[in-house]
Amino acid sequence: MTQPIVDVNGVVKDYGQNSVVTHALRGVSLALMPGEFTAMAGPSGSGKSTLLNMIGALDRPTQGSVEIEGRDISAMKDAALSRLRRDRIGFVFQGYNLIPVMTAFENAEYVLMLQGIAPDERRRRVLAVLDQVGLAGMEKRFPRELSGGQQQRVAIARAIAPEPALVLADEPTANVDSKTAQSLLSLMRDLNDKGITFLFSTHDPAVMEKAKRLVTLKDGNIEDDEKR
Amino acid sequence: MFAKTAWKNLWRNRRRTVITVTAMALGLALAIFFIAWGEGVYSRLIDQAVRLQAGHITLEAPGYLDAPAVDLTIPHANRLAAEIAALPDVERVKPIVLGQGMAKSGADAVGVVITGVLPSAERAASPIVQNMKEGRYLEDGDHALAVMGTKLAERLDLMPGKKLVIATNDVSGNLTEVLCRVAGLFETGADEVDGYYVQVPISFARKVFNMPEDQVTQLGVVLKNPDLQRRVMAEIRALVPAKEAVVLPWQEVMPEVASYIRMDSASNWVFQGILLFLVLFTIFNTVLMSVLERRREFAILLAIGTTPMRLATMVFFESVFLGLLGCGMGVLVGAGLSWFFNVVGIDMASLLPEGINISGFAVSTKIFTKLSAGIVLVPAGLVFAAILLLAAIPMRRAAKTRLAENLR
Repeated sequence: MTQPIVDVNGVVKDYGQNSVVTHALRGVSLALMPGEFTAMAGPSGSGKSTLLNMIGALDRPTQGSVEIEGRDISAMKDAALSRLRRDRIGFVFQGYNLIPVMTAFENAEYVLMLQGIAPDERRRRVLAVLDQVGLAGMEKRFPRELSGGQQQRVAIARAIAPEPALVLADEPTANVDSKTAQSLLSLMRDLNDKGITFLFSTHDPAVMEKAKRLVTLKDGNIEDDEKR
Repeated sequence: MFAKTAWKNLWRNRRRTVITVTAMALGLALAIFFIAWGEGVYSRLIDQAVRLQAGHITLEAPGYLDAPAVDLTIPHANRLAAEIAALPDVERVKPIVLGQGMAKSGADAVGVVITGVLPSAERAASPIVQNMKEGRYLEDGDHALAVMGTKLAERLDLMPGKKLVIATNDVSGNLTEVLCRVAGLFETGADEVDGYYVQVPISFARKVFNMPEDQVTQLGVVLKNPDLQRRVMAEIRALVPAKEAVVLPWQEVMPEVASYIRMDSASNWVFQGILLFLVLFTIFNTVLMSVLERRREFAILLAIGTTPMRLATMVFFESVFLGLLGCGMGVLVGAGLSWFFNVVGIDMASLLPEGINISGFAVSTKIFTKLSAGIVLVPAGLVFAAILLLAAIPMRRAAKTRLAENLR
């Protein structure tokens, strides 16, 4: 039987202390299998970003466990979490979040450099992913010289260049127009078809439509989990 | 790549970086300049003092420093002077006979310092020779002649060619009175010198004090390079039997000058330290601000796999580059300014018409800054080291960036 890439078990996440406590997640369990293309929907404050942070090893649960490829991240030290994020998880953030002083090529190359991959191999892989996301010829452009959609494509290239097991995207189409959003979504679907597992949060109904699985959260609980 | 990114980060807010680097460079340049200025004044003061008195290194009879008296003399002074003069770092040796007495004229009588000198040894660089106002300075062949300050001459109502009586106790303690004539008047600008100092040929001084021919109270050694004082002292000590003479640095012979320089130098360094502290505060503020502004960006970098240590290293490089730029420019400007005024000098005569008088010694109003590697590199090194130390706080802040909080 195939092992899930992500296995979330009874995760509770509370923010604040003593009298003022916010229950962001109230015992969420979720498993993601390799090759899935999953959207997480729900109103603001439902816990989408918090769950994404837990799965991305950016935060630790108050209770419960999160396993990535069978490894419980709540027991891992910070350095090990850094390595896990670097090698196994790709991130696409809302609002692009590229490093402004780096070119498109350097942004996409950054994680490969952290991985210690040789310069020639880095160059080959970065040029290939930039071509894959439709940015061939724009390697030397800085983020300010790219449109919002192009910047998000660079962010996707950065996320997939290290060949991660999982790409997490927090509202990846939130800051682009609907045409660009469709084009980004098609790109992610194409990449998913090539074997990359995606999990993203969204408010956009068009994005939810394209998802192969739709997990709906409400008040820190999974309200619905629809596989299509 | 981290160094390259750090360099690029520095120029993200070009105006802020330029202002910070300029403030740092200006602060450091001013500190270097004022230290060089102070050292220039001290150097000139020491030079004037040692040339007027008993050199960078002084030989005296044991006990003379504590209780100066004309009967405490160095024997075989001529031979010793010749041996010391032969040392490679010695510019000249000044034989001196120093005593107290009264200078008397028909108008008044004033207690004075009587200094017997070898005129040819003084002629090249003595402040007295350089500041003769009337008459002439002494010659080696002169005998019953004296030069004195204009203020003393005024009190005694004397002028060149007039007679003067010097009264004192000789080496045996007997009272002596000797007649001489005024050869010339000098005006150094220092009241203590111009009002109470009489210089006579050494042969005449020996006669006044009834001192044997080959003896002196002091041998003053003027060095080619004052920085070699310690080494030359060791060389001289090897030549002189300890029971005949002690070898002293000018700092012990003129402690008031040495303590003035120590105090003034310390306050100068403290003042420059305060200036640099303010500059460092600006730099610290810049680096910290730039870190706090980029919390989200740092969170992204950490999220995609950058370790906190690598992130801190990048911030460290930013401080290093900022420090190198600021210190580099500060050193260039500070050293350049100091070098320029080391060559050209600054004439303070219009600001200080009464002259500069320190510890009883008149210093020329034309100040030449003193430039050395230490004057330039010590403040620059301290500033750079402080920048690196101060970088620890922004580095820590960057490394401790909270991921989830800053990615919201």
